[in-house]
Amino acid sequence: MTSPLLTAQGLGIRIEDRWLVQGLDLSLNAGSFVAITGPSGSGKTTLLRTLAGEIKTAEGTVNYQLDCPTRLAMIFQDLQLADGATALTNVLGGSLGRHSFLSTFWRFPHQEQNDARRLLTQFGLSDKADQWTSTLSRGERQRVAACRTLLTRPLLLLADEPVSSLDPNLADRVLTNLKDSITSRNGCVVCALHNDEQVAKFANTALRLDPSDPHGWKMEIIKQDEKE
Amino acid sequence: MKSELPWHSRFDLLGVTFILFLLGALGSLPAIEGSGRSLDYWGNLGRFASRFLPPDWSILDRTIEGLLETVQIALVSTLLAIIISMVLSIGAARTIAPLWLLWPTRMALNVIRTIPSLLWALLAVVIVGSNQLAGVIALTFYSIGYLAKFFSETFEAANTDAQKALRTLGASPLQAFQYGLWPNARPVIWSHCLWMLEYNVRSASIIGYVGAGGIGLHLKLYAESADSWNKFSLVLLCILIIVTILDLTGEKIRKTIRDKLEGKNSL
Repeated sequence: MTSPLLTAQGLGIRIEDRWLVQGLDLSLNAGSFVAITGPSGSGKTTLLRTLAGEIKTAEGTVNYQLDCPTRLAMIFQDLQLADGATALTNVLGGSLGRHSFLSTFWRFPHQEQNDARRLLTQFGLSDKADQWTSTLSRGERQRVAACRTLLTRPLLLLADEPVSSLDPNLADRVLTNLKDSITSRNGCVVCALHNDEQVAKFANTALRLDPSDPHGWKMEIIKQDEKE
Repeated sequence: MKSELPWHSRFDLLGVTFILFLLGALGSLPAIEGSGRSLDYWGNLGRFASRFLPPDWSILDRTIEGLLETVQIALVSTLLAIIISMVLSIGAARTIAPLWLLWPTRMALNVIRTIPSLLWALLAVVIVGSNQLAGVIALTFYSIGYLAKFFSETFEAANTDAQKALRTLGASPLQAFQYGLWPNARPVIWSHCLWMLEYNVRSASIIGYVGAGGIGLHLKLYAESADSWNKFSLVLLCILIIVTILDLTGEKIRKTIRDKLEGKNSL
């Protein structure tokens, strides 16, 4: 069995005075897809942001076994795209961490441009590449944000409801792409999802949060890790 | 039961400033006096207007030449102002510059804005003589006062989400500015630049009056020589046409940019 990419022990997260989760033990293994589910307000986004290191843990610890911090990347629920830039440029933003300011000042390297276009094509956006993201629909913007994060080539991908604005077919296609591209390089996807069918179809493990009880979270094994 | 608002609730900031404005304006009426002589205002106006028309088309070539020079002054000064304002605006943006830089920059911009374009033109003519260079210098300074303020406000108001997202995805601060913040600010900045260009064409038409190049010099000559009001009117007509064209195209371009940024059309 491969070693986990991230482990959390006795994790507790809190917003102001309200505990969202307490006593959570979590181990994210290479090659797995972990779904986080639960009603709105149950703490899915806060948990993801805590795992991403953006929010400090209220109790417990999170340990990363990644060779460098940029191997962890997040798809934000509120997308956070640059409206006045094209979809392609937004996606290429994901590659900035690999290049110096001067080498991306005028244009991006050809290889990155090809990779970005390939991602957009995979996500059904090849004809939108040169449009400003402000002119795209919510579902299209969501996919642009997913492509941008994938271009950082993460090993641990944290995705906050990445398919909430997509129809079921497109949602399946996006989740398949996310899962394949991460697990193929032995990474791990942690994904907040609302739809139980999607959980059953893609997840190896599901973490169900309970908004009324911080200790009420349940970890369910859906299917064994495919890599094991 | 319908609860009535107390009578004084109407006197919010807006109501009070409006009343103060009205009182001030009415109170100023006695200060407006005529010359005291009994002049035939309407007759004068009629005689004056009749000398305007018809415009004297014989000077069209010379006028177009003057207009071209005016537009050139506006173009060069706007370009220079954009470059300098871009640097200054970073010093004047609360979200970017430290306080010790912020206030001196803003004060300097305030001072620059206080001086009207005609006064800048006079200053420039005194220093470099009566020529187009004076016009370029005058309008450059004048435009900086406005553009740097507009640019810095645009940077302050621009959505910084993408900038922050790129930082967490591994971009350096400069890269995050270039690809996260700048694309959001660029359309607004570009539309400010267009507005400034329009404004400078208008200003460049008048600064010639004090010798800073452009069509203004023609206006001055015709206004001061006897019986040249029909030439004067042709110059005015030409300025009107060029300013209207600029106004319309500028507005059209700005609207397109605005719509595109708000996602109203899919260009």
